[in-house]
Formats: sequence, C-alpha cells, structure tokens
Amino acid sequence: MRAAHRRALGAAVALVVGMAVAGCGGGGEQQQGGAQTLTMWTFKKLHADALNKVAAQFKSETGISVTVEAVTPDDVFVSKVQSAAQTGGLPDVLEVHAGGEDLEMGASGLLQDLQGDVNDAWKQRLLPTTRESGVMTQQRIDDAASDSPFKSAKAGQRFSVGFTAGAFGIVYANKDKLKAAGLDPDTPPKTWEEFLDALKATTGKDTKEGGLSLGLKVSQTGYNWIYQPLAHAYLGKDRFQALFAKGAAQGFASPDGVRTLEAFSRLTPYWMPGTTTLGIDEADIAFAQGKSAFDVGGTFTMAFLGQNGMSPDKVLTFPIPPSAEGVNKEISMAPLALTGLGVTSTTDNRAAAVKWIDWLTSPEGAGAVAKESLDLPATDLGTQAESLLGPDLAALQKYFTGSPDSMYDAADVSFFPSDYDQVKPGDLMVRLTPLQEVSPQQAGTELDKIMGSMWKVTE
Amino acid sequence: MSSLAVKDHPGRLDKRPSRTRSPRHWPGWLTGWAFVLPAVALFAVMGVYTIGSGLALSFAKWNGFTPTWTWVGVQNYLDLLYADPVLAPELRRAGGHTLQVMIAVPLLTVAISLPLAVALNSIRRLRAILRSIYFLPYVTTGIAVYFAWRYVLEPDGAINTLLRSLGLGTLAQPQGFLGNPDTALPTLILILVWSAVPVATLLYLSGLQAIDPNLFEAAQIDGAAPRHVLRRVIWPLLRPITAAIVLLGVRDALHGFQIFLVMTRGGPGGHTDVLGLMAYRLAFFKGLAQTLGVSSALGWMLFAGAVLLALLNARMLRRVR
Repeated sequence: MRAAHRRALGAAVALVVGMAVAGCGGGGEQQQGGAQTLTMWTFKKLHADALNKVAAQFKSETGISVTVEAVTPDDVFVSKVQSAAQTGGLPDVLEVHAGGEDLEMGASGLLQDLQGDVNDAWKQRLLPTTRESGVMTQQRIDDAASDSPFKSAKAGQRFSVGFTAGAFGIVYANKDKLKAAGLDPDTPPKTWEEFLDALKATTGKDTKEGGLSLGLKVSQTGYNWIYQPLAHAYLGKDRFQALFAKGAAQGFASPDGVRTLEAFSRLTPYWMPGTTTLGIDEADIAFAQGKSAFDVGGTFTMAFLGQNGMSPDKVLTFPIPPSAEGVNKEISMAPLALTGLGVTSTTDNRAAAVKWIDWLTSPEGAGAVAKESLDLPATDLGTQAESLLGPDLAALQKYFTGSPDSMYDAADVSFFPSDYDQVKPGDLMVRLTPLQEVSPQQAGTELDKIMGSMWKVTE
Repeated sequence: MSSLAVKDHPGRLDKRPSRTRSPRHWPGWLTGWAFVLPAVALFAVMGVYTIGSGLALSFAKWNGFTPTWTWVGVQNYLDLLYADPVLAPELRRAGGHTLQVMIAVPLLTVAISLPLAVALNSIRRLRAILRSIYFLPYVTTGIAVYFAWRYVLEPDGAINTLLRSLGLGTLAQPQGFLGNPDTALPTLILILVWSAVPVATLLYLSGLQAIDPNLFEAAQIDGAAPRHVLRRVIWPLLRPITAAIVLLGVRDALHGFQIFLVMTRGGPGGHTDVLGLMAYRLAFFKGLAQTLGVSSALGWMLFAGAVLLALLNARMLRRVR
C-alpha cells in the first residue's frame, strides 16, 4: 500500500512540476547566432500579408528578420494588446489606428516616444497632413478628462509615425450598372442631387440590386462617411463645427442643421435591402458581388474590392458630392493618417524596430508595401505613385487637393466633446434613414440632446 | 452528514482521523494534496483572482493599458444607474430589451419543449431517432450557426423565399428579418428558443421517464383525459425541472451577448441592444476610453441580478418540494 502511495505521490509531483515547467517555458522567440528578429502585430490581414512579403527585402538590406502577425478584428486586436501589456508579451512593433489609439497607447506607457528619432528629413517624406500624426499636442492634453492618461503625456511626444493614409466618404459605383441604367459610367455626379438622381436611375432599373450598400450594422458609418462630409460642404467649415458645439445654439435642430439632415434622409428609398444588417466588409463584398450599384467606403476600400474580385477598372470613384443648395460647390478630402507604426516600450530591439519603421516609411519601403497591399501610404510616393499603385488607386489622390475652406478634414476632432462617442449619433442616423423612425426635425432635437449629454460628461 | 446519522452511529466519530497527523500518515495526506493542488491553484488564479480583480476594477477607471487604475468608488455604479446622462439611458434601453428576452425565452422554451417531451415519451418507435433530431440544434449551436441564421434571415434568404413561394409574400421582410426594427428582437428571441429547446426537452424527457407509470395508470382508471393528466399529474411533478429550465433561460438572457453581437451588433438603430452586449461594448468597442471599470460594474450588476434570481428559484424549488 505504501509503495502504491509513493508511486501515486511521485506521479502527482511529476505532474505538478511538469505543469510548472511547461508554464514557465515557451513564449518569445529564441534568437540564434545573434541575428536580430522583430515581431510586429497589425489589425489588418491585408497589411500583414504585404508586410511579410516585403520583410524579405528588408532582411536582405539590413539582416534583420521581421515576422508580422495579423490580429483581427479590431476589438480582438485591442483585447490582445491589453492582455499582452499585462503579461509582458507585446511584440516589438505595433500598427495601430492613427489619431487617437496611438496617443492613448503612448500616454498609457505602451509605446515609446520617437520624437528624437523622427527628424525633419524623415517627416518631409510624409504627406503634409500626416506629418504630425502620432504627436501629442497641448490641446489634446488640455481637452482630456482629468483622469485621462493624456494628462501624464507631454506635448511634442511622438508615439507613432504615419503608415497608411486616406480618406473616408469615397463612393464606388459599378460602371456596368451605371451603363445599364443609361448613365455615363465615366462621369461622376457633381452634386448630391445628381447622385440621388443616379441612385434613382439604378434602383429604377434594378430595384433589388441597384441601390447603395453601406455597413450600417456599424451604425456610425452612415453618419461619419456620408452625413458629415455632406453637412460640411452644405454649411461650410465653421457652421458645420457649430452643430457640435456646447449649448446647441446652432445645433442639429436649428434650421440649417435640419436641412442637412433632410438632405441626408433623401437616401431612404435607395438603400440596398438589408444594409442595416451588414458589417463594413460585408457591404463591400455585397457591392463586389453585384448586389448594389453604389458603395461608400474610404480610399482603403479599393484594395478590398479588388481582393473580392471587383476589378478597379469596373469602378467609378468619387467623394460624397456637395449639395447644390450648400455653401461649398466642390468637395475635397484631407488625407489623414489612418494607421501609424509605434515601437513598444518593452522591446529589447529598439534600434532595429526604429530602423524597420524608418524603412517602411521610406519611399522604397512604402512603395513596396503599397504595391502589395494596394493601400495608400502616408509616405509621399511622388511620381512613382501611379506605377506602384496602379492608375485607379493613384487617381483617388486627386481628391486630396482643394481649397482649405472646402476641404473636409476627418482628423480634426478639436470641436467634439472629449468623451465623444460616435455610436449614439450613428444609431440615431440609422433611425432617420433607412428606418424612417424619426423625422429630420426629431433627429436634430435628439442629436442635440446626445451632444449635450456628452458635453455634460466632459465637464 | 445529518445529525440523525451522527446520533445513530456515534462510533464513527471516534474513528475519524485526528487533526494532528502522525508522520506515518503523511504520504497519504501529501498524495491527496498533490492531486488537489493543481485544481486549487488553477481556481485560485483563474477563479478567485479574476473575480477579485474584476470586483476591484468595478470601482476604478482603466483603459486596459495604464499601469495604475484610477479609483472612483461607487461612481461607476451610479453612472450606470442615473448619474451619467449618456450611460444611464443606454442601460435602461438595453435593460428593457434584456427583460423581454428574459421573459420570452424561458416561457417559449417551456411551452415548446414540454409538449414535445410528452409526445416523445408517448411513442415507442423512432423515439431515439427523433430525440437525436431534436437535439441537433444544441449540438450544432454556436457562432457558425448564428452566421447560418443570418443568411437564412436575409432579404433574399430562405425564409423570405419560402414565404413568397407559399403565396405569403406579405409576411416576407424586404429588409430581412434582422433589418426591420419590429422583427429583429423577436427573431433573435426565437433563435434563442430554438437553441434552448433541445436541452429542455431532454430534461423533461428524463423527468417524465422517472415518473412512476402507475400514476398515469391510476389517473386513466379514474377517467382523466390526457390534458388532465398533463395538467394535474405531469406538470406538478416536473415543476423542479421547469424551474431549472426557467433559471437557465433567465441566466442566458442576462449574460448572453454572442448572438446579439454576431447577428445584429445591437442594431438596427439599437433595437436589439441588451445588457450583456452593452458590457462587452463598454469593454472593447469604446476605443481606448477608460470604460473597463464601468463595464465591470455592469457585469457585477448582472451578477447580482442572477444571484437574486437564483435565490428566488431556490425558494420556489423548496416550496414545490
């Protein structure tokens, strides 16, 4: 009996020790022969594939190996970074959303300050509107809530370097469907009203598959990508920003505000059936499959459509057109940095990580990634743009130039409450159109209430 | 061990090992602990630590990244209940939807699974095959099935196609069953019921098979019609099982969010937002805002609700017995 006890005890101890050893082991890549190896996480599969391909080129030039892992979708990426931050398992480099996420991670101590690394020559390589992306400003610190991590950051700290750039509010039209509806497939509508006429023609030709697709399951897409550029052009920059101001004296329920909501709600008859149940990617896929005649996305949508079998030459692109009744008769989009690259605070390979980011944002590296991913880089590719991106994607860049007054800058968040949450107004906009549960006047009143409560929370 | 047992066998107490073990008992004692230790350690780390950490987090603000938390006391709870003009109305709306799910899912589950179990119990042939068929939704349920349901419920999905082909086109939903605010929540409730019926049916079936057949025979001899047997004999005897099914349904309604996340994400226009989804959204869909604490607070409020319901259920069960 005693022998049996000892054997059982031995087995149990071995099990516990084995589990402990297994728990302690693993994680992290063993470095062999002193060769430097970097790890990187991104939330875009398309980028991971492209980056892994160009990593070979980088290795041949520098001897540094890079392994890139895609962690999707966005919420999984955030939770994985949160977990890794607690367990010390962060990679060396992160690709993160620019314009907020990078600053938040940096101010929270996850990303290193690159201010000393990114000199003027490096900045000059980037598109002008993306050069200061990833840099903490005094205004962001001042506007932040008193318990925000921003308060512990210093103005001028740089937590990321712009990697990809682009704009939201780009309309994609199926040329075949335009032709079938008797429309010119090469001429984009100049005004919002012409756009509605085009939608009327395509839905008239094909009720089921002639409409507009948009991933309204993520309710803020309609609000962000269509309504805001439309309202900006309708009212002009100052009046547009006043819609969101504290006190709502000139808010959404004002006559001007209601007119913009009324213009937006005219889309109601033309939405693709079931568009409220589609996510962003699903709506793009529906368009690529011919289930809609128009699709709204960003400059980054072109690559995704191509991936899903929609040839770029079959697509007509144009930004959300301005209303003929509005202030601005033309519309242009300021290219904003969509994603940025940051070096994690736990890396043991800071120099190699900075070198990797430096290379990725050089014309050579950015060009190589752009060619593989068909995504616009934050690096100015100059004359190489067309050869690297192809004529259709490069053509999108023409909407990046315009007068400062008519240019819609989605990166400008200075006029929002600091705890601004897009989901609430997004849900309301879905109730305005396509659900038609509220009238433009009611939507305006509700939006003012939502903004008012956000300002109250900010206080 | 009951006090009666102790009285009847007082000698057993004398035979209990003393609390101070002699060295010759150590191997057995150590063996026991060596086997139990991994499970205890696992529970200490995965259970006690996370529960304690989660509770502490509900009194703090944190975005998941900063090394320190900002303590706010009970403010997160107050914000959810009334203090925050954005969160409080959101909670009330999601709470209303959750309540609908909490009431409808258990009721419909019982209403469908009990007759189904009685019917299955009354047949001899094909019972095993039919039981397997009815159990299929439980075996196949999960994220993949929710995606499959989405395709079925699309504007051009199988249900609309079927309705139109049967000449019932007026019942078809041009925006899909999940795209219409009037049908989205009821549709999700029906899918939840579809997922819950198999287990409930099996529970009822096992309960029915445990009932003494003499009771049915006696009732029939007394001239009871089948509906009277169901109402006067079967239903009272199956009440504990019904209570368990209702409790499971209520618990799922309180905590479940996967179906709402996958199928509607709370839409269209927030019409299917529920408390579980709200907690998930506060934790992971708020960018990097410091809402993990308020999300945790909501989780603890749901926990408190679940405990209250469990106590109520236990009380009901005692009364039934």
